[in-house]
Amino acid sequence: MSTDLPYAADAEVSLSYDELEVLKLQYEKELAQVHVTVQTKFNYAWGLVKSPMRDHQVEGVRLLQDLYRAEPTRRRECLYYLALGHYKMGNFEEARRFNGLLLEKEPTNMQALSLAQLIEKGVAREGYIGMALVGGAAAVGTILLAGLIRRATRK
Amino acid sequence: MPPPTNVKLLLIGNSSVGKSSLLLRFSDETWLPEDEASATIGVDFRVHRLTLRNGKQVKLSIWDTAGQERFRTITASYYRGAQGVVLVYDVSSRESFEALPRWVGEMETYLGTVTEGPVRVVVGNKVDKEFSREVSTAEGRVFAERIGSLFVEASAKTSIGVNEAFTEVVERIIERGVSGSPPQRTDGGQGGVPGGVQLVGGTSQEQEAGGCAC
Repeated sequence: MSTDLPYAADAEVSLSYDELEVLKLQYEKELAQVHVTVQTKFNYAWGLVKSPMRDHQVEGVRLLQDLYRAEPTRRRECLYYLALGHYKMGNFEEARRFNGLLLEKEPTNMQALSLAQLIEKGVAREGYIGMALVGGAAAVGTILLAGLIRRATRK
Repeated sequence: MPPPTNVKLLLIGNSSVGKSSLLLRFSDETWLPEDEASATIGVDFRVHRLTLRNGKQVKLSIWDTAGQERFRTITASYYRGAQGVVLVYDVSSRESFEALPRWVGEMETYLGTVTEGPVRVVVGNKVDKEFSREVSTAEGRVFAERIGSLFVEASAKTSIGVNEAFTEVVERIIERGVSGSPPQRTDGGQGGVPGGVQLVGGTSQEQEAGGCAC
């Protein structure tokens, strides 16, 4: 029967402003009380990674990295959302690395397999854009390279 | 030919009862043994096209949620707009059956009660484990009736009852007349589902609960 295309539910839909605000307020409240629970931090990080705003995604990834180090029991979900966050930011190498770590432990994880396909698609898309840019950049590149060689040979 | 009707389904229930396995059996006709299956992280999603007995085409969006407590905030954000809920327990786990009222409570918080809320089906999974059954068919049926739900016993492993569970809930949704709703309404949240409007409030409650749990 028909299977769907690769899809990562948390990559496509972001939270509303109010929903993210709820998670943020809880996080800030606990931060002010010095102790932030793992659950609160994780929820907020997830909300940030889902956001379409790059600043949010960067902050979400930072929090997830903290959690990954501090909470061995949460590593699998941290890896998944780290991969997702980097994928959304277009850091495909990082995304691939984190998702790869998850797949090493869980080779049949359907969500990770699906995300892996999305990442490879992203890489391919970037490749096409890259090729288009290469043409334009070639001229500039040649000039720069020539300059470098000249400088190197002078030494 | 008319465009297919869009229907949103949500799978809920304790972890390890086999929600993802039921979905995998239904959509891909496969099954992963327990040691290869991994617990869902947050939510997973699948689209499945279904032709009903009357020839009607339905495009099902199925949201498979993690049963683990720590994903409760994440999964709660996906309740919005669901027209059908598949409540899953494991017939060989009394605990998973006894957790159902809590799942019903959560569902009703976000989606409304039996009259205005989603169509529900209670699925007793893993009937292939007959030898270690802890919940009888009769008990399952009584519970389902009490919450105004359809009831099916199934096995994702042997595929018994799986198509039936999904098809019956979809047919009931269509009978109810949700068929008339355009796709943007089913996905838009605020539309016809009363509980959808309260999502923000619900998330806030959920958040507090999540915070205290640790």
